[in-house]
Amino acid sequence: MALTFYRKFGGPVVNRTNQLWCKKIRRSYSTDYSNWDGRGSPDKKPVTKLPPLSKPVEGLPRIRYATLKEEHQKTQITVLSNGLTVASENRFGEFCTVGVVIDSGSRYEVAFPSGISHFLEKLAFNSTHQYPDKDEMMRNLEKHGGICDSQGSKDTFLYAASASTSGLNDVIQMLGEVVLRPQIKEEEVEAARQTISFELQMLNMRPEQETLLMDMIHAAAYRDNTLGLPKLCPVNNLDKINRKVLFTYLNLYHSPRRMVVAGVGVEHERLVRCVEKFFVDEPPIWVKDKSLIIDDNKIKVDSSLAQYTGGIITEECEIPQFASAGLPILSHVMLGLEGCSHKDPNFIPMCVLNMMMGGGGSFSAGGPGKGMYTRLYTNVLNRYTWMYSATAYNHAYADSGLFCIHASAPPENVREMVEVIVKEMVNMAGNVSDEELQRAKTQLQSMLLMNLESRPVIFEDIGRQVLATGMRKRPEHFIEEINKVSKDKIVAVAQRMLSSQPAVAARGDLKNLPSLEYIQAGLLDRHGRMPGGKRMSLFR
Amino acid sequence: MASILKLSRALTKLPKNKKILQNILFSRNYGANAEEVLSDVLVNVPPTKVTTLKNGIRVATEDWGSPTATVGIWIDAGSRYENSENNGVAHFMEHMAFKGTKKRSQSQLEIEIEDMGAQLNAYTSREQTVYYSKCLAKDVPKAIEILSDIVQNANLGEAEIERERGVILREMQEVESNLQEVVFDHLHATAYQGTPLANTILGPTKNIKCINAQHLKAYLGAHYKPSRMVIAGAGGVNHEDLVKLVECSFGNMKEGGDVCSVQETSSGKLTPCRYSGSEVRVRDDSLPLAHVAIAVEGPGWTDPDTLTLMVASTLLGAWDRSQASGKQNATKLARVSAEDDLCHSYQSFNTCYKDTGLWGVYFVTEGRNTEDMLFNIQKEFMRLCSSVTEGEVARGRNLLAANTLLQLDTSTAVCEDIGRQLLCYGRRIPPHELAHRINYISADNVREVCYKYLFDRCPAVAAVGPVEGLPDYNRIRSSMYWLRL
Repeated sequence: MALTFYRKFGGPVVNRTNQLWCKKIRRSYSTDYSNWDGRGSPDKKPVTKLPPLSKPVEGLPRIRYATLKEEHQKTQITVLSNGLTVASENRFGEFCTVGVVIDSGSRYEVAFPSGISHFLEKLAFNSTHQYPDKDEMMRNLEKHGGICDSQGSKDTFLYAASASTSGLNDVIQMLGEVVLRPQIKEEEVEAARQTISFELQMLNMRPEQETLLMDMIHAAAYRDNTLGLPKLCPVNNLDKINRKVLFTYLNLYHSPRRMVVAGVGVEHERLVRCVEKFFVDEPPIWVKDKSLIIDDNKIKVDSSLAQYTGGIITEECEIPQFASAGLPILSHVMLGLEGCSHKDPNFIPMCVLNMMMGGGGSFSAGGPGKGMYTRLYTNVLNRYTWMYSATAYNHAYADSGLFCIHASAPPENVREMVEVIVKEMVNMAGNVSDEELQRAKTQLQSMLLMNLESRPVIFEDIGRQVLATGMRKRPEHFIEEINKVSKDKIVAVAQRMLSSQPAVAARGDLKNLPSLEYIQAGLLDRHGRMPGGKRMSLFR
Repeated sequence: MASILKLSRALTKLPKNKKILQNILFSRNYGANAEEVLSDVLVNVPPTKVTTLKNGIRVATEDWGSPTATVGIWIDAGSRYENSENNGVAHFMEHMAFKGTKKRSQSQLEIEIEDMGAQLNAYTSREQTVYYSKCLAKDVPKAIEILSDIVQNANLGEAEIERERGVILREMQEVESNLQEVVFDHLHATAYQGTPLANTILGPTKNIKCINAQHLKAYLGAHYKPSRMVIAGAGGVNHEDLVKLVECSFGNMKEGGDVCSVQETSSGKLTPCRYSGSEVRVRDDSLPLAHVAIAVEGPGWTDPDTLTLMVASTLLGAWDRSQASGKQNATKLARVSAEDDLCHSYQSFNTCYKDTGLWGVYFVTEGRNTEDMLFNIQKEFMRLCSSVTEGEVARGRNLLAANTLLQLDTSTAVCEDIGRQLLCYGRRIPPHELAHRINYISADNVREVCYKYLFDRCPAVAAVGPVEGLPDYNRIRSSMYWLRL
């Protein structure tokens, strides 16, 4: 017995240092020479009785591969009796991605406590009329190799699943249940509350600020209306949102007319049949059971247009919250201007402009191809070494748009950082070289095509386009449109943008942040100079 | 149109981090589909074509006929082929490849890539060095020419080397601020102590500061050999065309002709790396959380047990706090982690090398929970060896199969898969064979394989942060078996 016990202990331990408590950091190694105890490395003979992976398994049937078929390049669209639209494209491959795209999101939450979409995102794929719990649903999806996800945004809500094409019926049934017949049990709401609360904590802890700043700049740009409403649930609202509120919202916004069911890699007829069964024949749970919703006919679908106002929202805080891991202390500023809607003819030039500004982190992994020769790199990051990051974003919605540049730098450089960004923004309406325009156009085209390699991206593209316009324009159309963009167009778009009121969002140590009036004055100046304060350096 | 610029976010994230999935593709194509004539299996993917050139370079493609493509060079070389003097040289070389060549300066190279709307990237691991480019299909010839140029004719001037030293040292800082990477480096250092696998990929500061052109040339001469290279392509890549392009750009590469004579060990011959069950703890109470990895020695890439251990890995799964609610998690370990609030996150891993591997769990937790979390992990280890159920294993099989398939969504992922498989297995495993192999894995098989690799084995443990709560090594070791088994 004793002998066995010793053997199992794994042999003598050598080279161990005792722990000392007085020192903060100690490295102690201990080695267990496992070869000494007779139970060293596992022997090389495999347990699994198959040839090594480098050798084929004998006796398998022959395999016939697919040959290329490019005839699937067509989006088929059907509108069903209840107003729901089905859009799909076939594609080769064994897997399909299907999902529901809904005209719903935080911009519609004006009559509700903000944060509904955030809750719905977390509540998706829980218990439904048919499925007693999430486990049951997942097991069913699993049978078809499926995965699923949901995502809310300012103006669109997505539910999607990828699974084997043969399981289409079951997947659509599940989506129908999830979208139209969720139970939203009290305990599920509570769990979502906890998840959100944890997520908010994490967002405050992480060094990345995009998510928070994005909400802040929208709030600054569209004060208290539509797109300005927060996507992240405010902490104070966590307890205000309950089952009844959620169902009332769903009743208004998750109606079939506001929905597109999109599919990639499926036969259209088959998809339509499945959708008929689970989205038309079976009614939403809130239609069957009126007691679920708040009976108040004052709450109506909000169809107001986004009103761009401009403005400033700041938050003094420490970034990162825990500076221990050697992370740099930074202040973040996001500067925005009124952009254009995706229905605007200027939309494509705006995208090219965004590509031309580009930007990213001053030190980031990856080789050429990440936009190293975009303006925010060549004019900003490469020139001002204290600048930590500078990136351009272009948000386009159905009725408005927001173009912004996010930059970060140490707190002592905040003023200079704002000056540099303002100057770059003013410069957008200045000279555009042939070279940089051509580069930006090619990059936008290749980015578009590269992204569309992936099935979930095609799904989203179909869904969003059909929801917005009732049809899907092919990538070739955009390639053409991008080709047409001229220098003058870029300058015109930039000029229009510069005449709008700036929107500013900032987080971190903001002692040195210039006031909104100064930024505004800078944007109106031909050279992008801000009044007063430090004199502009000769070399700028 | 609405989505033109929203493409990159959102659902591209879909396959990540999700539990569940399965292998209908497999079961349908192989076996389960009775109507199908058994002698032929239809798969809805194009074949992988492989051609070996005269000088030994292998060219492999999967042609989708799409408007974009990924092409790249996979080289059987990495930090494993280094010794303590030149550790870091493989990674240094990867950096130098982007510093320009005899034909084009660094900025010319960059502008050329940017103007094509392409991407050029590279990475070095312990056993592989990879250079690849994602581009429009029409630009594949140019991409291949550029890749061949940077790999064969990189400028190794003193000035460039000096400049790059600084960059690598900064990269090192980044790595060091990522505690997960730090823990895994420590894990390798202790598990493979005294062997080249213990070395980090970046190399020690001392080496980075003194690597010179001679080191780099010696390394190139010894390892960048045609027989150890694979040129892979996926997306809009025609096989015959690519073969011609490669012949043109790489055809002159010679197998021999080393610049400097190098010892046997560095010329690609594999010295086996000994595994030692052992531990390293770096106690730093100023960090908010403890980061711990525990692993046992697993088999190498080609061993048939590897797939079984991958299934075992999925049975432990991964979890982090944002997934919340306890009982809805698929794996037992995720459930206890959530219900008892044992950790902030954990993930199982199975890192393979040619002849060995590390299989285990990495977790991040508050100092006081370290022991409880470890207890539960080791309990799961023992359960895998003794009483894992058929249902769980079926779920794990599905997960592995579907993960493998769903990942192959973009040309880059497929190209990566082709390159890696050709280096690791010498071939690309056909889908129906992989299906057959995964379907073979039963609960019995998992138990037997886990018993072999886990039960009563000495683990390697690496821990960083407030780790005073981590049990003594002997106690960890003693939880690797049960007396009653």
